[in-house]
Amino acid sequence: MFVLNYYKSRKFSFSLLIVFILSALIFSFEGNSALAMGYGGIGGRPAYPDPKNPRTQSIFVYTLEPGTTKNDGVLLVNNTDKEKTLMVYAVDSVVSSGGAFACRQMNEPKKDVGRWISLSKSEVTLQPGKNEIVPFTIKVPKEASVGEHNGCIIIQEKKEKKENQKGMVLTFRTGLRVAVTVPGKIVRKLKIENFQVEKRKNGNFLLRPQIRNLGNVSIDTDVKVITRYFFGLILAQHGGQFPILRGKTSDWNFELKKPFWGGWYKSQLIATYDQNPEASIGIQSGKSLTTLKSKPIYFFSPPTPLALSIEIVVLLLIIFLIFLLVLAIKRKKWIQNQWQEYQVKPEDDIKKIAEEFGLSWKLLARVNKLQPPYALKPGDTIKVPPKPEKK
Amino acid sequence: MNQHRFNIKLKTMSRFTYSLMTSRFISLFLITLLIIGGMGIGTYILASSTTQFQQTINPGTLTTDIVDSSYNSVANPSVTMNPVTFSFSCQTATGTFGTSSQQIYVQNPDAADDGWTLTVAPANTTDYWDGSSSDFDFNDGSGSGCSDGSDADSLAGQMTIDPSGATLSTGQCSSCTTNNISKGSSTAFEEGTTDSVTLLTASASSDDIGDWTLQGVSISQTIPAEQPAESYTINMVLTVTAS
Repeated sequence: MFVLNYYKSRKFSFSLLIVFILSALIFSFEGNSALAMGYGGIGGRPAYPDPKNPRTQSIFVYTLEPGTTKNDGVLLVNNTDKEKTLMVYAVDSVVSSGGAFACRQMNEPKKDVGRWISLSKSEVTLQPGKNEIVPFTIKVPKEASVGEHNGCIIIQEKKEKKENQKGMVLTFRTGLRVAVTVPGKIVRKLKIENFQVEKRKNGNFLLRPQIRNLGNVSIDTDVKVITRYFFGLILAQHGGQFPILRGKTSDWNFELKKPFWGGWYKSQLIATYDQNPEASIGIQSGKSLTTLKSKPIYFFSPPTPLALSIEIVVLLLIIFLIFLLVLAIKRKKWIQNQWQEYQVKPEDDIKKIAEEFGLSWKLLARVNKLQPPYALKPGDTIKVPPKPEKK
Repeated sequence: MNQHRFNIKLKTMSRFTYSLMTSRFISLFLITLLIIGGMGIGTYILASSTTQFQQTINPGTLTTDIVDSSYNSVANPSVTMNPVTFSFSCQTATGTFGTSSQQIYVQNPDAADDGWTLTVAPANTTDYWDGSSSDFDFNDGSGSGCSDGSDADSLAGQMTIDPSGATLSTGQCSSCTTNNISKGSSTAFEEGTTDSVTLLTASASSDDIGDWTLQGVSISQTIPAEQPAESYTINMVLTVTAS
């Protein structure tokens, strides 16, 4: 028995030790877990942004004379929890539908900025959470024309081709715009091409502004579509600052949710931009801005069912109030025209007079502006209706 | 008798030892908690007094992907068009790009503060829907996509992508909005003219930090008359570009 107890006591000591270690591990892990932080995805960004131009934190912006060379770098990032091999390559830009900026594909021939860029590496393998700067050089050809030229540096994960996939097979990549402006006669001019409001099947409206860039550089434009109630109060404002590429028309689709109350509305496009040639991507000239406005478009939206119910109730209430008002006016006129003066006799009181003339004593008191206790003195003159005819 | 007494004594001792052990167990556990807790508090006090906190936040990057409803990346994403039956006349197949289980996903963790665009394009402008024995085109607008035009190949067919009616929503970021993000218009691919279709355009005033999903982008594809019955594949590239 003693041996057993001794054995038990050893076992307990061992258990205690394990409890201590486990507790220590659990609590130490709990304490440290708050220090770990990460964000998924692979991609890149400019390695050496220009502190004077905030736009260079996300894209590459240069002003380069023909024949000059510029050295820079792109920071490749692997924020996933796996080792990744990234392909990095330069391509020309392409204007996507709606005038949006996009990048050409890897296999497409390069004629513009995509051709000017030479990257020091085409592939980089990154451990989880690591990044690497890939240096590159831009050499602007001597014959480059004045104005803005665009291209992209693409970061794409290298993946083995999967067999037996059917339908539309998708791959993904991230592009960083490379905008190179060749100095000279810079033209910055926009024109409102069109503005439409289209009704959708779900009752919402599509606000579709179109603006054309007549210049030779892209223009960051503050595009606003303001929709107002018929009487001027603002219902909604859509838009933002978008680049409009040189010589291209940009269009946007802003969705206006079906207005709750319904009625007539007015939408107008307002575009504001810096027309001065000193301005460039991310840099304002500091001079006055140019504003373009479209003609306002009026459109009708039926109310939502709930709004319609509320509106019907309110309308009925208004009709009822008008009816009461008309009734009151008519009665007032009838009193003014038909009621006669009556001299109070000694035996009269308000109730007796009211019964005699066939109306309520309250009405009689109200018309004659009598105050409680509605006492009448003999000889007082009050107004009374014509006596009802006896049957 | 003495032996019996000794046994009783032992039994009493063992009970005592047992209860002592149990109480020790609890006490030691509590002491362990106190020590570890104390160490933790001590660590925090020391850290705060010496400002030795260390925190690394890696730079975020603008990315696009196809994710499931839990925002996990889908391993082999694809868009399957609704099947059509062999026809002697030109016909249209439809499909949906971006579903609840394969959402189009854009993540901008403060990487593209001045806007971005999400576009879809073929891996090569000269690509086509590739079958084992026959092919048809995706970017030939001749005869409303029903006949071969002047492009390099001798295939007919045209794909139209319409994101204007799709549903744009915020993703995991609860405080983000879809304000200042515009959906693209219905656009048909046309070789050399329209090689890329815009799905989304985010302005500079859109949220700098955010993630968004897009579901219900309509796809329609004209299929030339007498196109042989088989499965076809095309490679498309989804690109998110800081602009």
